[in-house]
Amino acid sequence: MLKLTKLIISILFLLMSKLAFAQDCSLTIRGQVTDKETHEILEFVNVYIVESGKGATTDEHGNYVINEVCPGDYHLRFSHIGCETKEQFISVNVSTEFNMEMEHAASLLEGITVIGKQSETSTQNTQILREDKISDQLDQNISNILESISGVQTIKNGNGISKPVVQGLYGNRLTILNNGIAQSGQQWGNDHSPEIDAMVANRISVVKGASALEFPGSNLGGLVLVEPSKIENEPHLHGSTSLAYNTNGRGASLNVQLHKATDLIKWKINGSLKKSGDQNTPDYFLNNTGKEEGDFAVQLEKNFGEKWFTDLYFSTFNTSLGVLRGSHIGNLTDLEAAFTSDVPFFTEETFSYAIDAPKQVVNHHLLKLHSKYFLTDEHWLDFTFSGQFNNRKEFDVRRSGRSSIPSLSLQQFTYFIQGKYNAEWKNDWYFKTGVQVNFIDNTNNPETGIIPLIPDYFSTESGVYSILTKHHKSSVFEFGVRYEYISQDVPTITQTIPREIIRYENGFHNIATSLGWAMDLSKDYNLSANVGYATRNPAVNELYSGGLHQGISGIEEGDPSLDAEKSLKSTLTFKGNKHGRFGFETHFYAQRIQDYIYLTPTQETRLTIRGAFPVFNYAQTNAIIAGFDLSGQYNFLTNFYGRLTYSYIKGSDTEKQQPLVFIPSNVLKANVNFQSNKQFLIFKNALENIQLNLGSKYVFKQVNYVLEQDFVAPPDGYFLLNLEGSAEMKIGNLNWRFFVNMSNLLDVSYRDYLNRQRYFADDIGRNITIGIRTKF
Amino acid sequence: MINRTNFLASLLFLAIFTMISCEKDDPIIPNEEEVITTLIYTLTPENGGDPVVMSFIDLDGDGGDAPTITAQPLASNTTYNGVLELLNEQETPAESITEEISEEANDHQFFFDTDVEGLTVTYSDEDSDGNPLGLATKLTTSSVQSGSLTITLRHEADKSASGVKDGEIANAGGETDIEVTFDVEIN
Repeated sequence: MLKLTKLIISILFLLMSKLAFAQDCSLTIRGQVTDKETHEILEFVNVYIVESGKGATTDEHGNYVINEVCPGDYHLRFSHIGCETKEQFISVNVSTEFNMEMEHAASLLEGITVIGKQSETSTQNTQILREDKISDQLDQNISNILESISGVQTIKNGNGISKPVVQGLYGNRLTILNNGIAQSGQQWGNDHSPEIDAMVANRISVVKGASALEFPGSNLGGLVLVEPSKIENEPHLHGSTSLAYNTNGRGASLNVQLHKATDLIKWKINGSLKKSGDQNTPDYFLNNTGKEEGDFAVQLEKNFGEKWFTDLYFSTFNTSLGVLRGSHIGNLTDLEAAFTSDVPFFTEETFSYAIDAPKQVVNHHLLKLHSKYFLTDEHWLDFTFSGQFNNRKEFDVRRSGRSSIPSLSLQQFTYFIQGKYNAEWKNDWYFKTGVQVNFIDNTNNPETGIIPLIPDYFSTESGVYSILTKHHKSSVFEFGVRYEYISQDVPTITQTIPREIIRYENGFHNIATSLGWAMDLSKDYNLSANVGYATRNPAVNELYSGGLHQGISGIEEGDPSLDAEKSLKSTLTFKGNKHGRFGFETHFYAQRIQDYIYLTPTQETRLTIRGAFPVFNYAQTNAIIAGFDLSGQYNFLTNFYGRLTYSYIKGSDTEKQQPLVFIPSNVLKANVNFQSNKQFLIFKNALENIQLNLGSKYVFKQVNYVLEQDFVAPPDGYFLLNLEGSAEMKIGNLNWRFFVNMSNLLDVSYRDYLNRQRYFADDIGRNITIGIRTKF
Repeated sequence: MINRTNFLASLLFLAIFTMISCEKDDPIIPNEEEVITTLIYTLTPENGGDPVVMSFIDLDGDGGDAPTITAQPLASNTTYNGVLELLNEQETPAESITEEISEEANDHQFFFDTDVEGLTVTYSDEDSDGNPLGLATKLTTSSVQSGSLTITLRHEADKSASGVKDGEIANAGGETDIEVTFDVEIN
């Protein structure tokens, strides 16, 4: 690949050299370098032409000038301490001005930096993870990566299967957008991970707002956005390769990305392969917790003239995930026996890569076509069509060789179509409106030989929304409404003999509205507030699930008479950034959900030939979920900072005057980060951008619980230490990045409240991931 | 022009989608061949006489209606030859699960727990490793009394664990395929 790249570059140079005859080598390239987030000017940025080595440094106004440049095609390389090094292709025929925005790899608090020149376009609190942070964790799944954001936790079934929890909301209540499309699979399952390869994303953000009106799915507040960036306007083939090895699970991960902009089309491909075996706690192996994953994505962009932009995106995600053998149990007696056993049943002394039942095999494919057409500079239309296919098969340990037949086999097709209109009006008014239809076709494959837990269904969601934004002086005001009509057509199979089919046809109206205000109090402080009201119709699993849920060792029963949830949420954010020295963010939220739908144990136990099982019913109550996320950072030196974050959350059932079940524990995190501004020469190559981060995390014991709602009381709190390091080096034309992530450094034995595996086993012990990435 | 085409195309799609979403086909009802609906424990007195039958029948499997449990009284100071039969009566004719269990004898073991004093159950069959299975048993009663008898079938139990060969369930591990309790009356 490299040789090919070199060859292509050489050929291009040969072609270019004919331009070099009558050259006027007195051109200049000049420009200004600013921070992408704060728009502050950046001093001491090194800028040089890769081809000629000629360079300059930005002055106190962020300006640079490179003189005596010959006409030609060049790559400009921008490097600055603490920033991701950027290279940009530039074609120079006359003296050129080229401005650059750089991103701080570890900005002063994620999401806090949007203060200054221009207010945020949204009044909702958003926290962002950027490329380096994502790709340094290529061995992790997307939920585990998201955990580094304050206020985001995960609900897990072992380390490999996890889904994000944002301000206490997850599953049906939390929408995850993959490249602008609401991820559609079996979101209801607490043991169903989002089927997204984080490595396709250049940016993952979490919106902790009051209501997300622009998107289908739940509008209750939280939103996770996974976004690949636009393809760079770079006529040469470029890309990156990352490779990582993790000790816990003895896993390897590989990611390759390539992109190129030709006159015809811009393209980018992204592929990942991951394989890992049994993970281990400090004391024993967690048998059958291996994972295999193969993902691929293609992104194409084409501009038709100046006004019409089109892109096509295809991604495929394929995984096989082992579930701890000892967590698969027959009945309540087995479950109780498992609680009293220190080491899970079926624990073996030997490590293995084999993935046997119980396991999950999941495929998810997404195709998206998106077009944007500018009527004028201020008005544009936006059109999206997407199709998704989700294929989930779960295998249990079964008799007579039936372990190879899935116990759950669900196929889901989702089609989405959207038309949007955006306008920038006079006097800083912005208007967005859109129409959407989302159609879901969910089918159980009868190959299982088991009456399905959730029925087959059609669901059609048609929505319209409008959002109006006004910038006035240093304030932003935002007002939006959304209306949705959801129709469900659900043929269910009876639990009693003879089996019959009972059909349900439902129609629900969802209404959501939100009001927001953000204001820069001064150059350094920003205040924002949001209020949102939204309704969420009961999902098919909440209405009609029925049968034994092996995963929770209980019989689950839906309630066809459930009403929609009605939520009122308010958020308040105050953030500040004093002279780039001290930064803080305080985010408060309170959400009242009327008719909150939850799974609750009933007094009944049902006798089956396998023994007695507890019966869980979907029920409704009134709930309040409230909490705050606090973060503060102090820069002791320009390259040395300390950061403290604390997340507090409490969920209450106001009807029964008791705590809500499965609300995340409170978390306190502290870390110190050091970036070296020195370069170290190794074989004449400079090792630079050296960064060290020592992090610690204390997860408090969940003390708000009702013992009757769970099988065992929440586990104790725990303290974890982790250490991360990274450095970069340029060798020839290649940029290399080296990184090491050490988690659970002290090899602590612990169990986490929201990890279902805690009923059976400890969480994973120390892990060291070492990795290398090259950009070319 | 193009925006109008876009707009018309969207309308068309909207119309198509609304039409598709009329009715989901009836699901195919899965064939539940793995289900055990019925357990029959037939106890024939060693010295002749009418057999005593205990049965647990739950035709709709895990959910739905409650099972039917019956147990005929036992005679005191008697030794019975016990035979367990497992059926899936959702199939017609009923499918014998007993065969499946004896084919996978090494992976299965029955356990018999009771609070009736003097009532003992011993294994009279074994798997290919010489470990007990429990489809065939010998049940002995002593005095007149009543209590309960629980029959458990464990899948992938650790037969080499302490006491398991003697029918003690405590260290067996594995997964429970069957756990039924009968009220026992000894006359």
